[in-house]
Amino acid sequence: MTPAPSLPPALAIGAVAAVALTTVLVGVLGLRISRTTSDFYVASRTVRPWWNASAIGGEYLSAASFLGVAGLIMVNGAQALWYPIGYTAGFLMLLLFVATPLRRSGAYTVPDFAAARLGSNAVRRATSVLVVLIAWFYIVPQLQGAALALHTTTGLPGWVGSVAVVAVVVASVMFGGMRSITFVQAFQFWLKLAALALPALFLVLWLAGRGAPSGEPIDALGAASGNAPAIPASLVAPDGVYRTVSVMVALLFGTLGLPHVLVRFYTNPDGPSARRTTVIVLSLLSVFYLFPTAFGILGRTAAPDLAGQADATVVLLPARLIDGPLGAALSALVLAGAMAAFLSTTSGLLVSIAGVMSQELFGGSVHGFRVAAAASAAVPLGAALLAGPQALAGSVGLVFAFTASTICPLLILSIWWRRLTAAGAIAGLAAGALACGSAVLFSAIVPGIANMAVLQALLGQPAAWSVPLAFAVMVGVSAVRRRPVPTAVDRFLVRIHRPEAYEPDPAREATRSSR
Amino acid sequence: MTPDPHPQRVRVTAPRSNAAPAPVAPSLARELTEQSEIGEVLLRSLIRSQLRLALVVGGAFLTCLCGLGVLAALGASFPLLPGLPGLSLAWLLLAVLPYPAAIACAAFYARASARNEEHFRELVRDKP
Repeated sequence: MTPAPSLPPALAIGAVAAVALTTVLVGVLGLRISRTTSDFYVASRTVRPWWNASAIGGEYLSAASFLGVAGLIMVNGAQALWYPIGYTAGFLMLLLFVATPLRRSGAYTVPDFAAARLGSNAVRRATSVLVVLIAWFYIVPQLQGAALALHTTTGLPGWVGSVAVVAVVVASVMFGGMRSITFVQAFQFWLKLAALALPALFLVLWLAGRGAPSGEPIDALGAASGNAPAIPASLVAPDGVYRTVSVMVALLFGTLGLPHVLVRFYTNPDGPSARRTTVIVLSLLSVFYLFPTAFGILGRTAAPDLAGQADATVVLLPARLIDGPLGAALSALVLAGAMAAFLSTTSGLLVSIAGVMSQELFGGSVHGFRVAAAASAAVPLGAALLAGPQALAGSVGLVFAFTASTICPLLILSIWWRRLTAAGAIAGLAAGALACGSAVLFSAIVPGIANMAVLQALLGQPAAWSVPLAFAVMVGVSAVRRRPVPTAVDRFLVRIHRPEAYEPDPAREATRSSR
Repeated sequence: MTPDPHPQRVRVTAPRSNAAPAPVAPSLARELTEQSEIGEVLLRSLIRSQLRLALVVGGAFLTCLCGLGVLAALGASFPLLPGLPGLSLAWLLLAVLPYPAAIACAAFYARASARNEEHFRELVRDKP
């Protein structure tokens, strides 16, 4: 499938270069004010809620949201609307169960948090491995998205996109650390929003001005979905319902375990501002997801043949519907936004891997952070270049399922259940990771499984049973050997649940963050 | 810290640092950090009420979502606009309504949990 380039290559490359250049520039400007180790890791915990919320939005809206949601809507219709709901509402769960205590814990990373709560180095190591794995799995689809977007618009070979994203991200992460990344991410959220909202509004006005859609595209809509009545039918079929429930479990509870989102919560000044940040993030995401949905609907109505390359719908649609330079310019704008999506998510993930790796391997120095950032970008790049293309929203959804089966129970039980033990945590992490990972692997590899709808659904979307399993194992193993809860655990729980004094003492804050 | 209402007598002597600190009446805030029983009971009740709040709000939201899902399944065959048969009521229900619901739940939780914490602070604040 090598479509003709839909944009003048100069325009497309110009759009991509502009985004990359701005990213590096903002990163370099950030370097001037990013001096200490704490700046590098958590922006010295001084990021205000609006900035932080924009940055979280910027980091979170990945290829899956920017390209994948519209693509899924093209292919699956209304059924696909559950994905953006889950991506957004995941932050509600994050707010309810982890945001404030996590911020108050004062730990740098998820492994730090787990080690402080459970007092065990084995837990720290297990969590570190999982965090790195999750981030790698999450970066791969971003790089594939970059390859796809650049390839379909310019005709350049796919690897150029992946390599370009990795190069820009490594450069800006290595030299800027967390503080400058916060500026970059916040900027990129608004860029992404504008890059989808403007073209979507233009397209709606354009189609409205051309008069009501003729009968032809509507007939084509039925043809595009293949079997249009299949959508309501699959909503009621047992495996369809199971899939929806499982996707929702994965997305709702996967968000609160995503390492690159969690690391952002440590940059809030205190617990209440962590809550405010989350509410703002929810609102920003709610506005954002209206537009990929609009693109999906427009695509189904006006250009149903794009379902063949569904994930590129968002980029191709403006140039397809509006002839001439206006359409090309809008497509270039969308491409720039997509590029921002790949860059911001990848750099957020890279910061979290680099944070974890440099704590584990290099004693947490700034130099170690830089080495770890470069090293940890190489693995997903290799994987993206070797692996074939996948449906973006689907493969990111599986990463959410994996996170929901591992990090989520660990965090929730650590925060709310004082009897959780290190042995229970490790057993639960292992059970969740093995169950979820092997199920997905089986459903992809074993031939003939595609014919058994129920089994395919159970293994292909394991979250609905693997998340409860992980919780059950953690609780079960912890409860088997009932021992008195160590006082250190109670002290930790006091620290993470106790409200701050009215005015946090600046001197105490300073000693805490320099520790 | 508000000043202790009944100050102990303080001996002003030369090297003060060697002496053990004079005992003061323990404040609730201090009991909390030192894991006394009263502090523990108070904090546990705070944790319990925060967890209860989170579960109630989360449950309410999931119930809304299930309701919307059922409605969407029922409304999948109702066209939203005449002339656009592909765009059924399900689209409106799923594309728009869940988001205000999520924001409302989040805003409610943020306010209610801040109120829980405020209540707790009232309890531990040193009364004059």
